[in-house]
Amino acid sequence: MTVEVDGLVKHYRVQRREPGFGASLRGLFARRYHTVPAVDGVSFRIDAGEIVGFLGPNGAGKTTTLKCLAGLLHPTAGRARVLGFTPHERERAFLRQFTLVMGQRNQLLWDLPAMETFLVNQAIYGVPEPQFRAALDELVALLELEPLLDKQVRQLSLGERMRCELAASLLHQPRVLFLDEPTLGLDVTAQATIRDFVRTYSARQGATVLLTSHYMADVTALASRILVIDGGTMRYDGDLRALVERHAPYRLLRLTLDCQVQPADMAAVGDLESADGLAVTLRVPRAATKERAALALSSLPVADVAIEDPSVEDIIRQVFTQR
Amino acid sequence: MTTRAVPRVYPALLRAAWGSAVAYRGQVVLWLLTSLFPLIMMAVWLSVVEEAGTAGGFDGPDFVSYYVAAAVTNHFTVAWVSWQWDEDIRTGGLSVKLLKPLDPFHHHAIEQLGKKLLIGAVLLPAVAAAAAVVSSIRYPVGPGTAAVAAVAVVAGFGLNLVMASAFSMLSFWSTQVHNLYQLWWGVGFFLSGWVAPLELFPPTLRRVAVLLPFRSSLGFPVEIVTGRLDGRAIAAGFAVTGAWSAGFLFVYRVLWRRGLRRYEAVGA
Repeated sequence: MTVEVDGLVKHYRVQRREPGFGASLRGLFARRYHTVPAVDGVSFRIDAGEIVGFLGPNGAGKTTTLKCLAGLLHPTAGRARVLGFTPHERERAFLRQFTLVMGQRNQLLWDLPAMETFLVNQAIYGVPEPQFRAALDELVALLELEPLLDKQVRQLSLGERMRCELAASLLHQPRVLFLDEPTLGLDVTAQATIRDFVRTYSARQGATVLLTSHYMADVTALASRILVIDGGTMRYDGDLRALVERHAPYRLLRLTLDCQVQPADMAAVGDLESADGLAVTLRVPRAATKERAALALSSLPVADVAIEDPSVEDIIRQVFTQR
Repeated sequence: MTTRAVPRVYPALLRAAWGSAVAYRGQVVLWLLTSLFPLIMMAVWLSVVEEAGTAGGFDGPDFVSYYVAAAVTNHFTVAWVSWQWDEDIRTGGLSVKLLKPLDPFHHHAIEQLGKKLLIGAVLLPAVAAAAAVVSSIRYPVGPGTAAVAAVAVVAGFGLNLVMASAFSMLSFWSTQVHNLYQLWWGVGFFLSGWVAPLELFPPTLRRVAVLLPFRSSLGFPVEIVTGRLDGRAIAAGFAVTGAWSAGFLFVYRVLWRRGLRRYEAVGA
């Protein structure tokens, strides 16, 4: 077992202060604090080589959990183990085997070419030269870094910086990757590049990946299993397909009609989801998709038909609203 | 990181720190100017001895030699790391450093060294040239004593580094640590030998000053290179430096471990 989390709790003590000069003066003498339960009894396990998506709205506790797993935060209660280590003890053997990539922070030396950061990391992680060169060549090829290596980091675009950041984080070939919003703010092409890279890296190295992202495409493209967290507690842990089936026991029949049809005439096929001129979307029971599609073709003036699953975004939204 | 592995890391980190320092060449001029601050006190004392002839046994050339050495020493011993620690802890920048198998202390130490190397490359030749043409700059010591003074400079830098880092660990509990450290150094400014050589202090105050940590980073190395200390006084000075360094290192380690439990890694 690569990651083991049992009843993990992390509370933050947050100062409460009202705006205004008077409030700031009062704050000099009497401060008020309250406790925010960012993570409140989360448990899960991740096997070696798994890629797991970690989903939840802002403030759900995803990043706090990742920070506990990376040893940045001491848990308030509960237990976290990664590769058999207790993360916050920060043993060197542990620090050498994992990485945390944060979309909002980077380790690159701002005023120097990215290559300098790579060399510094080689020294810090004690990577032998042949191993370093092999890893660097592979990362340069996969992330298309060749033209970026001698450019000052501050002159790189956001997407270029994130590619260099990934390379800097992976030169020591970690066995566990915690990726916190690695595609944040990137354009569609850059997002796809990062996704392809993570998939390839995990497959080649057998690395375990726990990924948070606001872009559902990241999760659906990479992870077969997802964890859904909200309000600091786990809402779902399991197969992405099972989540879709559980929370969306229907599929969408998208029809393009030859002529207008009254809604009542389509009722036998399915529930009307939306209609836009001759384009109609019907909701049909997942188990009867084939039969309902056949019925649509035989009873309605259908020019074209497509069968789709509802978007994972919609399903996740549904999970969050079922509190 | 094991203690043995740290020296292996320094060359790569130092090369990067040098590169970062060079990236801001314009700052070199500003750093040079701050390095020369002791020369302002030199001007004050020269105006005093111009009227009185000597002050506490120091004549004009003594003050010139003292403050030129102080300017160089100050550049190499000062450790402006408290604001960096403070910012890292308050804004969550520490997280990136914590992920690596190297104590963040070394990141700060090396960044300072990079800047010192760059300024030193300009300052030392300039001072050597000045000493060659200005007859009042005189250091009546042999190479052995000069080497001891250089060791004292390194020790002074080490002490400043652990002292600033120990103070900075309070940033885990307070947001005013940088100001607190400035206040501490306000005292140090007076007792380090900046305002006046400690020989000019009243005996009681001098006896206290030589036991405090401030002299180690300025007055002590300067007194060695100006030939004002015998072997016994030099040994005592190193003992004071070593004791304070060990004390602050201990405090740093204790506060570091306790502070990390409170660290909230905000901002990421």
